[in-house]
Amino acid sequence: MPMKGRFPIRRTLQYLTQGEIVFKGAVKVMTVNYNTRGELSEGARKFVFFNIPQIQYKNPWVQIMMFKNMTPSPFLKFYLDSGEQVLVDVEDKSNNEIVEHIKKILGKSEETLHKEEQEKKKRAHPATFGPKKYHLRECMCEIEGQIPCPALVTLPKEMTGKYKAAMKEKATS
Amino acid sequence: MSGLRGAVHAKWIIGKVIGTKMHKTAKVRVTRLVLDPYLLKFFNKRKTYFAHDPLQQCAIGDIVLLKALPERRTKNVKHELAEIVFKVGNVIDPVTGKACAGTRFLESLTDSESLTEADTTYLSEKLQELNVSSTEK
Repeated sequence: MPMKGRFPIRRTLQYLTQGEIVFKGAVKVMTVNYNTRGELSEGARKFVFFNIPQIQYKNPWVQIMMFKNMTPSPFLKFYLDSGEQVLVDVEDKSNNEIVEHIKKILGKSEETLHKEEQEKKKRAHPATFGPKKYHLRECMCEIEGQIPCPALVTLPKEMTGKYKAAMKEKATS
Repeated sequence: MSGLRGAVHAKWIIGKVIGTKMHKTAKVRVTRLVLDPYLLKFFNKRKTYFAHDPLQQCAIGDIVLLKALPERRTKNVKHELAEIVFKVGNVIDPVTGKACAGTRFLESLTDSESLTEADTTYLSEKLQELNVSSTEK
């Protein structure tokens, strides 16, 4: 049974995580003005259709707004934290060209992303257990080869706490 | 403990004005794209913000840029109007700087080049009539 929709691959996690653009911290709002008809807006339309989900997935705190058929020329506008506004004319550009251009002017560079990833890995020790937010795994039972979670599969009698306590009492009494 | 503009999370937002009946305050609807966890598709989620507009220059339908205030002005007003990005009925194309409506520029309608043959003949006839009437008098 195939997925529903025109290009349902856009709705897969793998596609979303493949997005390359991670905006710098200063970018707060992104506005896309494009037209629904006309050859000149074709690249902008493809950009909105294919690339906006990837960008929004990687930048959940950037507000993205789309405006259709407001002006004859398609463009992107970015509003930065300093009050600065960046206007990008995308008339007659293909959607890949737009992505490359944005990555160059407002995206975090490869090295910055790499460094951030390394730092994240350093802070999170893989051998500890706890809440998903801070650790890789929550309990030893998640690992293959270890004892399954006692909530799902009851432990053998000899390993239960009450049996061990009873044995200890018997030994001391 | 307000900190540096810590009154509100959203420092800069863009929205559409939906109400101006309040005194020096504009009601602005802001839409953000939110991922549906099952469909993995982005949908617009709307939220209304109130913005301080001291000159009451907003009309309903304007697209405005709001800036977060350093601290809350009243219970609900935490933003102020930074600029009107697109004024309703009076949109200016930022790339060319000309006035436009939809996908057409408005200036070109007044150029004589865009007049058709019928228009020019009609206009010249009218001009001739005027000449005749002025010579009569």
